[in-house]
Amino acid sequence: MDAPFVALQDLRKSFGTTDVLHGINLEIPQHAFVVLVGPSGCGKSTLLRMIAGLEKIKHGRIVIDGEIVNRVHAKNRGIAMVFQNYALYPHMSVRENLAFSLEMLKTETSEVERRIKTAADILQLEQLLDRLPAQLSGGQRQRVAMGRALVREPKLFLFDEPLSNLDAKLRVEMRAEIRALHQRLESTTIYVTHDQVEAMTMSDIVVVMNAGRIEQSGPPLELYDRPATEFVAAFMGSPAMNLLRGRVVRADGAPAVDVGEGLFLPFDDRAGVREGMEVVYGLRPEHLAISPDPASGLIGEVALVEPAGWETHLHADIHGRRFRAISTERLDVTPGSRIALAPDPTRVHLFDGSSGARL
Amino acid sequence: MTGPSSKKSGAGRSRTGPVRDWSGRFGRAALIGIPLAVLVVWTLTPIVWAVLASLKEPLEIYESNALLPANPTLAAYRKVLAMDGFGRWLFNSALVTVVATFVPLTISVLAAYGFARYAFRFRHVLLLLYLVPRIIPRVSLIVPLNSLMSDLGLINTYWVLFITYSASAIPLATWILVGFFASVPKEIEEAATIDGANMWNRLRRVMIPIAWPGVVTAGVLCVREAWNEFAFVLALVNESTMRTLPYQLYVLKDAMGVQDYAVYNAFTVLTILPLLLVYLLLERRVVDSIVSGSVK
Repeated sequence: MDAPFVALQDLRKSFGTTDVLHGINLEIPQHAFVVLVGPSGCGKSTLLRMIAGLEKIKHGRIVIDGEIVNRVHAKNRGIAMVFQNYALYPHMSVRENLAFSLEMLKTETSEVERRIKTAADILQLEQLLDRLPAQLSGGQRQRVAMGRALVREPKLFLFDEPLSNLDAKLRVEMRAEIRALHQRLESTTIYVTHDQVEAMTMSDIVVVMNAGRIEQSGPPLELYDRPATEFVAAFMGSPAMNLLRGRVVRADGAPAVDVGEGLFLPFDDRAGVREGMEVVYGLRPEHLAISPDPASGLIGEVALVEPAGWETHLHADIHGRRFRAISTERLDVTPGSRIALAPDPTRVHLFDGSSGARL
Repeated sequence: MTGPSSKKSGAGRSRTGPVRDWSGRFGRAALIGIPLAVLVVWTLTPIVWAVLASLKEPLEIYESNALLPANPTLAAYRKVLAMDGFGRWLFNSALVTVVATFVPLTISVLAAYGFARYAFRFRHVLLLLYLVPRIIPRVSLIVPLNSLMSDLGLINTYWVLFITYSASAIPLATWILVGFFASVPKEIEEAATIDGANMWNRLRRVMIPIAWPGVVTAGVLCVREAWNEFAFVLALVNESTMRTLPYQLYVLKDAMGVQDYAVYNAFTVLTILPLLLVYLLLERRVVDSIVSGSVK
């Protein structure tokens, strides 16, 4: 990999006595679409605002395109930002909204026209140029906000939860639109969201944050397949991974985790896992095979059935423990049905019981 | 309105009886309507009375209790407009009002922006202290102000009115504008910052246009304060050429041997009229829904 396009080095931030970021280190290659994801209050928006130049940097460094930008004004960082609430100028038409930054930079009129036209073409804003933001729908406002970023022709796009004000259908559409825009422009993008589905579907690199720290960063499927911590395992994936605390034992010679209530969950032997260890046993719902034949696994009682069309989500109790399972088959079960659930021991994730680190 | 609502409440009537019906149908209207009606009558009565009285003949008011003038005439208005100095008093009022609107507005916009957007030590204390001039009774300021302005040699000048009127309007305008500026979403200004606008451009191109209803509101109040001001002009000005309309109105009462109430009321109406025009003109411009659509 070349030198990173954006580098965050030991960034810390506190508001008063509250520490929000505890030493963030991250390298972002050029053209990458990076999603910062985490629960609210994890510091992801603060981090984005520091990159944007809206928060002072007192500790650590931010490098963009080879230049340390700690003391560079927001307007000179070569960035453009799309805000969660769009932050359009309400008294200006769409055209004026798009032109504002270029006007501030004293761009030539012909160039302003060209850039507005390009942005309007890409985002299908031609018909809306003379309207005020109040006359636009949520999705249109969102596109204007993106257009306003686009005309700046920035080196780095920043998105701060841009879709959270949209309804579910529009969100899916805009998700694809933003992604398509990125593929077309190939501009390096940092995108903040609390929605792990957005993180999974949009990113080249996902950065999962928790309590002011980066838990794990990497390609989305890598995080999904090999979560580095219990937190990442729980956060990524929907329906969420089954996570149960227990102790490593040997049951009938095979390694298993005793999660109490006489329930032993099997896993494949692996280095660093010894008998007696306190662990968290993790298994994705799709790795819990559902079978109507009671002999083929652990016997469970169906508690809840959620048919989603292309797959069925199942909540079932085994020895009083609630499990989530997914089947792509149409299942003929109702709450109270007895079924067999078979964990795939090769797909089990184990995490240290105290540190939460992957074993 | 009452038709459908009475139909709707029909099912519940048997259970809850006529009390609920009364409170439902008339209670709400009465609760809002009666106080509003009282307020309108309370406000309009003296004005209507003044207008009617101004149209009467000089002695008619003493001779008849009728509200309406027997032979409506504009004679009183002609007398007022023919007064030596009426033009001057009108000019004085207009000049001090314009200055005492634009100066306080300019200062208040800057001050309010600072209060609304910058966190600094003692911000809240300062904002409270800003109100002190409005809390102290104006009358108690008159003696010290007179003595101060005498020392400065400003008595009987426009300056004394500019200064005192502006100083008294600034706190009010600032307090109004702080609220309006603070309600502009921070992200809009942050977007402008990233777009390359410096503080002056953010204020001029973004904040003021968005908070425009507030600026107009503050402006209207400044106009009203300055136009109606009486105590300061009475205490700091004594030459007849420096009087404003309210001052002259006050003097008029004593100046006329036999009280010509028609003239007196015509003067009053002419004093009120410009202010009413300002209100009517600006009220349409206050469109507070302008912010909707910028965020969310």
